[in-house]
Amino acid sequence: MGRVIGKRLFSIMALCAMVGLLLLPIVVAMPSLAIGEEATADGAKKEGDKVEKGRDVYYKTEGVVVGAPAPKTTDGPKDYPRYNFESRVLLWFANQQHLYYGSFVLAVPIFCMIIEFMGVVTKDKALAKRYDQLAYDFIKISLTAYSLTAVLGGILIFTFLTLYPAFFSYLSSVFRPVMHIYALMFVAESGTLYIYYYGWDKMKEGFLKWIHLSMSVILNIIGTLLMFLANSWIGFMMSPAGVDEQGRYLGNIWHVIHTALWNPLNLHRILGNMAFGGGVVAAYAAYKFLAAKTDEDRAHYDWMGYIAMALGVAFLIPLPFAGYWLMREVYAYRQQMGITLMGGLLAWLFIIQATMIGILFLSTNYYLWQAMGRMRGAEKYQRYIKYLVFLLACGYMVFITPHTMVMTPAELKAMGGQQHPVLGNYGVMSAKNGGINVIITTTVLSFVWYMRGNKVSTVSWAKFGNIFMGVFFACAYINIIGLAIYGYYIPANVRVGLSVPQVTTTLSCLFFMFALNSMMMKGAKQMGPIEWGKISARSQYALIMLATAFTWMMGLMGYIRSSVRLFWHVNEIMRDNSPWAYTHTVGFAANMISANVLFFWISILFVFWLGSLTAKKAPVEAKVAVPGSVPQPAGSH
Amino acid sequence: MGNLISEALSMGWMAMAILVGLLVYFQVSVKDPAAKKRAVFKTFIGIVATFLLFVAIANYKTNFYGESRLLPVSLVMITVTTFIMALYFTNLSALLRIGGMMFFIAAFLSGYGNWLPQVEGGFPPVEEKKTWDSMTPQQLADEGEKIIFGGVGKNKEQGAIGKGQCPLCHAFHAGMLGERAPNLLGLPTRKERLEDPKYSKGNPSKREYSVKEAFPGSGTAETVQEYIAESHSCPSCYVVSGYGVKGTNDKESPMPAIHKPPISLSLPELAAVDTWMYLREGVEPPSFEEIIKSYEKFIPEADRPKQQEEKAGPASALMADGSEPVDQIFAKAQCVSCHTIPGIPGAMGTIGPKLEEGTTAAQRIKDPTYKGTAKSPAEYIMESIVEPSAYVVKPFPDNTMPKVFGQKLSAGALKKIVDYLSQVKAGAPPPKIS
Repeated sequence: MGRVIGKRLFSIMALCAMVGLLLLPIVVAMPSLAIGEEATADGAKKEGDKVEKGRDVYYKTEGVVVGAPAPKTTDGPKDYPRYNFESRVLLWFANQQHLYYGSFVLAVPIFCMIIEFMGVVTKDKALAKRYDQLAYDFIKISLTAYSLTAVLGGILIFTFLTLYPAFFSYLSSVFRPVMHIYALMFVAESGTLYIYYYGWDKMKEGFLKWIHLSMSVILNIIGTLLMFLANSWIGFMMSPAGVDEQGRYLGNIWHVIHTALWNPLNLHRILGNMAFGGGVVAAYAAYKFLAAKTDEDRAHYDWMGYIAMALGVAFLIPLPFAGYWLMREVYAYRQQMGITLMGGLLAWLFIIQATMIGILFLSTNYYLWQAMGRMRGAEKYQRYIKYLVFLLACGYMVFITPHTMVMTPAELKAMGGQQHPVLGNYGVMSAKNGGINVIITTTVLSFVWYMRGNKVSTVSWAKFGNIFMGVFFACAYINIIGLAIYGYYIPANVRVGLSVPQVTTTLSCLFFMFALNSMMMKGAKQMGPIEWGKISARSQYALIMLATAFTWMMGLMGYIRSSVRLFWHVNEIMRDNSPWAYTHTVGFAANMISANVLFFWISILFVFWLGSLTAKKAPVEAKVAVPGSVPQPAGSH
Repeated sequence: MGNLISEALSMGWMAMAILVGLLVYFQVSVKDPAAKKRAVFKTFIGIVATFLLFVAIANYKTNFYGESRLLPVSLVMITVTTFIMALYFTNLSALLRIGGMMFFIAAFLSGYGNWLPQVEGGFPPVEEKKTWDSMTPQQLADEGEKIIFGGVGKNKEQGAIGKGQCPLCHAFHAGMLGERAPNLLGLPTRKERLEDPKYSKGNPSKREYSVKEAFPGSGTAETVQEYIAESHSCPSCYVVSGYGVKGTNDKESPMPAIHKPPISLSLPELAAVDTWMYLREGVEPPSFEEIIKSYEKFIPEADRPKQQEEKAGPASALMADGSEPVDQIFAKAQCVSCHTIPGIPGAMGTIGPKLEEGTTAAQRIKDPTYKGTAKSPAEYIMESIVEPSAYVVKPFPDNTMPKVFGQKLSAGALKKIVDYLSQVKAGAPPPKIS
C-alpha cells in the first residue's frame, strides 16, 4: 500500500516537474517583460518634464505614453505593397485556413481528454479499450494537422509582413511581449502534445494512465491560453484599449489584452471550435465508414461518427447564447457597430446564418432518424417521422422569412413600405422565434426517440411517464406556436418579450424530458442490440453536410466579425487606406467562403488520406470486438 | 458560354490531348474486347469530366469579380465531375463522393449568397483634416455651402440640404417665402435689426424675449457679424416678428441653438457658413479669426463643440440612422419645429398638423379627397413623410413640409417614426418612447 502511495507521489512530482519545465519559458519571459517596462519608465523619468501622458480610449485611465502613434497609412507600395491581386483576399484566405486548422487542433485534444476520461472511468474493459483507441485515433489525426497549422501560421505572418507591413508592425509593437509569450507557449504546446502522443502506449496502465490523462488537461490549458492570446489581437482590432486616441501604447499590457470584446470572443470561440472539431471528426468517420471494406470497420466508424456528432451538437446548443452575449457586448461597446451587424450593411449575412442554423438542425435530425435504422425495435417510431419532417419544414420556413429589412429609400419606395407586401405580414420576431423553437424542440424529440429506440421501459410508472411526456411535448408545441401567432396581434415592443416564454419552454423540454427519459430507461428491457455499422450510407452524407455547414458557418461568422470594422485596421485608431477599404457584396463573400471551405476540406481529406497510409502499417491489435457483440458506448444511451 | 469553352480549351488542351492519346492507345493496344471497351469508356468519361473541370476553372478565373458571379455554376460543374469520377474510379469512390457532396453544399450556399440582394459597402469618406484658418474666403464659403446645402453649387436645388439643416426652415433666395423662418437674403447688410428697439442693443436686461442673453454677461451684438453669431447661438435672444413659436407672442424662437445637439456645428463650421452668406451677395466677409471671435462672444468655452474629424460612417448625410430613440429622431429631423407630437418633449410646433395618427390616419384614408395609395395607417404615415403632398391636411398649405425625408432618414428611423405615430391616439396617454 505504502509503495503504491510512494509511486503515486513520485508520479505527481514528475508531472509537476514536467509542467514546470514546459512553463519555464513563460516564467522566464515575465520578469524580463517587467524589467522592460521599468526601463521605459526610468527612461521617461530621466527626461524629466518631457513625460507625456495619454488617456486610455476604453478604460479612460491615464498612462505614460511609451509607444509610437498608429501610422497614418497612404495608398502606395510603402504601406500596401501588392501583387496584381487584391491583397485583402490573399490575407483572408491565409487567415481563414490558419483558423480552420488552428480550431481543429485545439478542439481535438479537448475531445481526446473527454473520451480518454470516459475510457478510464468505464468499468467495462472492452468498452474502455475502445474509448482509448478512439481518443488515440483522434490525436493521431490532429498531429498531421498540427504541423500544417504551424506552416499556415507562418504563411499568415509572411502574408501580413509582405502585404500589410505598416499595420503589422504597429500591431506587433503594441503586442510585443504578448507575441513572444505566444511563441513560447506554442513551444510548450508542441512539447506536451508530442509527449502525450508518443507516451500513449508507455502510459496506458494504472496510475501512469492518470498522469497521461492529466497531460491532456495541461495540453488543453496551454491550447486555450494560446487561443486567448490570439483572440486578444482581434479583440484589440475591434475594440481597442490600452492605447490613447492616437494609438500610442500606454504601458499597461493587461488593458491591451483585456478589451471590451475579449472575453465574449474567448467563450464564443471555444464553443465554436468544439462544434467545428466535432463536425470534422464526424466527417472523418463518415469518410472512413464509406470507404470501409469490412463490417468491423464500418461498426467502428459508425460509432465514432455518432460520438463526434453528439459532442459537436452538444456544444452547438449553447453557442447561440454565447453569440448573444458577444452581440450584447458589441452593442454596449459601440451601438453603431451592432447596428451595422444586425440591422445594417451586414444584416443579409445574418439571414444566411439563419438558413445555416436550419440546415444544421435538419441534418442532425435526419442523421438521428437514419440512425434509428440500426436498432431493432425503433421501427415503431418510423411512421411518425413524417410528422416531424412537417414540423421542421414549417418551423424552418417561418424562421427564414425576413420581416423588416434594411433598405435604401429608393428600395423603400419601390417596395411601397418598410415590409414586403406579402412576406412582411409573416416574418415577425415572435413567429421566427416560434419557428426556431419548434425546430429545437423537434430535435429534442428526435433525440428522445433515438435514446429509447430499442428499449422498453420497465419502471412501474412507465405508462404514466409516457403519457406525461406526450402531454408535455404537446403543451410545449401549443405554447410555442400559440405565442408565435399571438405575436401578430400585439405591438412590436410587447411582442419582443414573447421570446422569453418560448425559449423557456424549449429549454424545459430539453432538460426535463431528457431527465425523465433517462429515469424511465433505467434498467429498461432491450429489444435488440444497436447494430453498429448497419446504418444507411445516406446518414453519413448527413454528417458530411453537418461538417461542411459548420465550416461554412464559421467562415461566414468570421467574415462578419472582421468586416464590421469597415474601413479600420484598428477600430477608430488606425484607418485602412488601401484600395480595398470597402465591404464586398454578399455574393462575393459567399463565393470566397465557399472557396475557403473547399480548400480546407480538400486539404484535410488529404491529411485523412495520409493518416490512412500509416494506419495500414499499424498492427491490427487495436481492433476489438466482433460486430453484433459490440458493447454499447455509454455516451450513446 | 462560347468564351468559357474556348478559355477552358486553351487552358486544358494538354490534359485533354493526353486523355485523347490514351483513348487512341487503348483502342489500338488492348486486345481483350471487354477490357478494351471498359478502358475506352473510362477514358471517355475522364475527358468529359476534365472538360467540365476546366470550364469551371475558366469560369472562376473570368468571373471572380464579375457581376454575374457564376462561381456557384462552376462548383456545380465540379460536383458533377467528381461524381462522374467516383462512378468509374471505385478505389477512390468514397473520397470523390464526399468531395462532390461538399462541392454541392458550397455551390448551394454560394448560389444563395449571390441570389440575395447585393449590397456593397462604399468607400469610406476621404480622410482629410481641414485646416480652416489657412483657407481662402472662397474655400471657406464652399465648405459653408456644403454644410448648408450638402454640396457646392447646390444652393438653388430644390430640397438640397446639408449637415446644418438650415433650408428645412429658411429660404435663401429672392422671392422665396420661408413659412417657418425669415428669408436670409440680405442678412450681411441687415443693420436695421441692431437698431430695432426690441433688440435693445447694449441693454439685454430690457429684452422681452424668453432668453435675455446668450449666457450671463455675454451682452448684445455690436456689429452685423456679431448679430449673425448671436442668432445662431441664441435664437431666442431676438425673434423676428411673426416667426416665434405659436402662442408665445414671438417671445420664443423655434430654432435650435446651432452649436448644440442635434446639429452641433463647430465654430469653424459656423464661420464657413457665414462666409458663404457674405460672398454669395458679393459682400466682403470678415476674416476667419474675426468671425470666430464673434462666436466666442456668445458661446462660452465649455459649450463649444470640439472640432470633429471626418466622422466614420456612410458618406450619405443622414439626419438620423435609426439607432436613436424616437424622440431624438423627431428632434434631429426637426419635426418638432412644425408639429405638435404628444409624448415628445419640445414638440409644440403649429406650422403643421398635430400628429395623432393613431386616430386621424384611418379617417384621412377614408376622406373622399384622399388621392394617395395607402391602405393602412402605417402606410399613410410613411406616405405623408416620403410624399407630403399626397394628402394635405386642411387648413394647412401644401408644399410647406420638405420632401427630403425619404432620402434623409434611414429606413430604420422611418420605421421608428411610423411605429410611434401610429400608436398616438387623440385623448389617450402618449405611447412609451423606444
